[in-house]
Amino acid sequence: MKILIIIMFLSGILQYSIFDLSWEYFRTVQAMHIMGSIAIALFLLIPYVNMHTYEFMVVKKVKSLSGIMLGITLFFIIISGIYLFLVGNRGGDIFGTLSFYVHLYGSFVLLYFLFSHARKKFHAKPLVVLFFALSLTFVDSSYANEKLTNIKIEEGLDGYHNEDWTSSAKCKSCHEEIFNQWADSNHHHLVGTNPYYMVMENLAGADMGEEFRQWCMGCHNPSAVTTGEKRTTHEMDGSLMPNILFESGSKRLLEDFKAHGNSRLEQGVSCVACHRITEADSKGNSAYTLKIRDREKYAFEDSNSEVEQWLSEKFINSNPQVHKDSYSNKLYKKSSYCASCHDEFLPDSSKRAVVSTFKEWEKSPFNNPKDPTKHKDCIDCHMTYLKDGEFAPLKGHSTDGGVIKDDVKVHYFSGSNHFLSGLKSKEHEDQTLQLLRTSAKIDIDIVDGNILVGVKNVGAGHHLPTGVSDFRELWLDITVTDAKEEVVFSSGKLQEDGNLGLDARPFMKVFGDEDSKPVGLMFWRYKKMISDTRIPAGQRRVESYEIADAKNLEYPLKAVVKLNFRIYPQWVTDAVKRAYPQLPNPDVVTLEKIEKSFGK
Amino acid sequence: MRFFIGAFAFIVLLLFSVSLLLPTKEKRVFSDDSLREAALSRDMSSTPKTYDELLKLLQIDKESLFREKVDLGRDLYFEKALSKSSDVSCATCHVLSKDLKDKNIYLDALTSKVNDKTDCVVCHLSDLSATDRFETSIGDGGRENPFHLNTLTTLNAALAKYQTWSGSVKSVEEQVGLSIRDASQMNLSSDEAVKRLSLDVSYMKKFEGVYGELNFKNIEDAIAAYLKTLITRGDYDRFLDGDNDAMNKKAKKGLAHFLNFGCKGCHTGVSVGGQSIQKFPLRDYNSVVDVTNSFNESQKGREVSTFDFNAKMYHPFPFENKGGFMGKDGQRLFRVPMLRNVTKTSPYFHNGGVAKLREAVHLMGKHQLGMNLTNTQIDEIVEFLRALEGDVVEFEIPSKKGEL
Repeated sequence: MKILIIIMFLSGILQYSIFDLSWEYFRTVQAMHIMGSIAIALFLLIPYVNMHTYEFMVVKKVKSLSGIMLGITLFFIIISGIYLFLVGNRGGDIFGTLSFYVHLYGSFVLLYFLFSHARKKFHAKPLVVLFFALSLTFVDSSYANEKLTNIKIEEGLDGYHNEDWTSSAKCKSCHEEIFNQWADSNHHHLVGTNPYYMVMENLAGADMGEEFRQWCMGCHNPSAVTTGEKRTTHEMDGSLMPNILFESGSKRLLEDFKAHGNSRLEQGVSCVACHRITEADSKGNSAYTLKIRDREKYAFEDSNSEVEQWLSEKFINSNPQVHKDSYSNKLYKKSSYCASCHDEFLPDSSKRAVVSTFKEWEKSPFNNPKDPTKHKDCIDCHMTYLKDGEFAPLKGHSTDGGVIKDDVKVHYFSGSNHFLSGLKSKEHEDQTLQLLRTSAKIDIDIVDGNILVGVKNVGAGHHLPTGVSDFRELWLDITVTDAKEEVVFSSGKLQEDGNLGLDARPFMKVFGDEDSKPVGLMFWRYKKMISDTRIPAGQRRVESYEIADAKNLEYPLKAVVKLNFRIYPQWVTDAVKRAYPQLPNPDVVTLEKIEKSFGK
Repeated sequence: MRFFIGAFAFIVLLLFSVSLLLPTKEKRVFSDDSLREAALSRDMSSTPKTYDELLKLLQIDKESLFREKVDLGRDLYFEKALSKSSDVSCATCHVLSKDLKDKNIYLDALTSKVNDKTDCVVCHLSDLSATDRFETSIGDGGRENPFHLNTLTTLNAALAKYQTWSGSVKSVEEQVGLSIRDASQMNLSSDEAVKRLSLDVSYMKKFEGVYGELNFKNIEDAIAAYLKTLITRGDYDRFLDGDNDAMNKKAKKGLAHFLNFGCKGCHTGVSVGGQSIQKFPLRDYNSVVDVTNSFNESQKGREVSTFDFNAKMYHPFPFENKGGFMGKDGQRLFRVPMLRNVTKTSPYFHNGGVAKLREAVHLMGKHQLGMNLTNTQIDEIVEFLRALEGDVVEFEIPSKKGEL
């Protein structure tokens, strides 16, 4: 039995960071240590200690200090072990950390008393003390990051299997809040549940050949690309297309995972897609490196059996450092991480930029590495919680029961698309709208019958609008009335068919083909830029309008100016509605509004 | 105690030696040319490129397939008057674009002023799958198939020896007539069909020119003639014709599996299926509670497990048998489905019980071949099935007088 205890002790300290055990061994040793300890404690140790104590302390009335100490230490080891197993060392409560250290250092004490209590005295005391002292000096060393990332990029693989792509549904069991944020965010709804995308990918395939879909799928659907899928598909409910537009909380994904495990591919950008990116830059389309198969998985992590899954969660919780390290990366805080998808190029020799959000940011005042107080990365705005129109870093935890963080990086991925996530969750819509409203300020003046409206990009670290700014409408809605309350000037109203009036001057870019004709839906045909009226970060644009009958104006004039935003133009939504008739029209959102009176 | 340790060591040793004995090598390794030879020698062949080759394959003569007849058949394929309520045509379920050369159908459907297509068709018309991809077919008046059977593709249908899921129909002509008359399909009697068409002068003229008269048999014949021209060719055919680069490495490996594992035993001929009637599942499935995969973690979840078929004492199929169809004579006898364009015809099996192709391959391996295919093998077979995708061949069909 002593030998068994020593084996458990050895398997325990082997997991200790100073040994830097290779992952394959670590996960086996950990599982063996935990399962073995439970079995030994239940069937051997506890019955034996009971019998032994009864025999010597109650019947024979022997007094043994080392025996009592051994008993007390054992008690603490078992209690802390049980806590680590059932609750874990997730970081959120002090007991977890306490248990971890009690279990770790207690085991040395246990060993010390075990030897001193043994009938035959070993000359091991100095050794144990030395070991104990040695271990103390290494307290803060964590698993070497280099080692974990030293695993070579998965060269030699020609693709993944469905099973390699761990379903995001699995992450929910411990990261419920983050999961729920992601579930209704635009990053989750990039493929089969996004009508605009489905129509556009199909159109790209029809226009440029089926292969061309991969261009879209590189960022929208990494799991499908790496498993050799040729196109993005949508779900079916028997013979009907499910109503995916309004379904919140990723219900369908959770059900699918329950029924099929990982054998069904989760299309789109899943948790592991982002959290297993090892390198990323802005040099080309979807320029990131994935390591999905080479991962440090705890024992039973891939199991489909519920008991084994439950066990694997316990294994992670009891010693989660490896889990943390394998899904986070310093890269993830940098803007260049996002660049691999948020800079888009035409996939031909011209490499003409379609989207340049990262490059816009690089040149903006937000990119200021010399002055950290002014430097803002993507996640400082797009993954920070907003409250009452201001950034209010969320205090809370990212793991259930985990450590309380001062600024949880929320996974709403607020950007500009309030519409699609808003159909599913009002909270998501609210976060995005708050962010949008921090972006611009407007001012107005009327001089000699000329209306001068200034729009300043105050909040965005990139152009306004950015992204697919050929499909974004940001424009000024102006109404000027005279003393009789009759409209003397108006601009930026919607036409009857819902399209923006021709007099409006939207801030956007317009792509043209070779003959400088607008490319319409097919932005991949872009050859020449027809116009680019977006507002760069920190800059102010003044739009001037003439009032037709300027001489006979009856003062005072009253001007109402709104900065309006619509996520997709009506003509785009109209096209998408042919395939998705249940799609509502996106609202026009007023970002800023001013009213001002002008005397003569 | 020693006995236990000894027994334990013995078992470990035994398991270890068994794992060494298991075969790890592939059965046969093919070179590109030998792979082609093997496929051709097993009755697999490419589809025709020209009109003459087509005639030869179908064993018909010039008099029975000419341009006017095919054009008439095409018109009838898209003719809604051939259904009782006049709102479905053949093309409603066997979705196909009338002008196969038109590359703008999708953009036009999105941007045209008139909205004359259903939402599914808008996107899927350009797939050219000639099926509706529903679990079950929906006919005249929205009536579903009583056995929950799903629509088969009309592409390459003329190459099959047997038609429909049970294989009880022997020719496309016969099948056309049945589809028009069937209550859950177009639900129109043959007399009514002839009556309706005879009211249309242009049809009268066309029938006059092609056949001399308008009767139901000629309607069947004309539509069947059009179906005979719906033949697809793809990478697989180019490979069989001698182009080694037409199929990628993975697909070739898939084809080798297809030959080695015995898939080709049933899915054979130029249509890669449709040539015989076979039992599915091969052995009595689930007469007792199925535990074959209980210890095989990698396969869990592959089975269609959204329903509790394992809890029932008898369930004929490894997926929910909605509609209760049991094949020919209720004996679980099915026409072997054609695998050409199979990637475009999900969901799979007679009632669409399986949504994903990889799952269908797994089930086929398990229940027809008695093999648990590995993930890599399934991937390779699926890649091969992708090579079976093809575009409809544009045959140069001469007119009745023999002019091109």
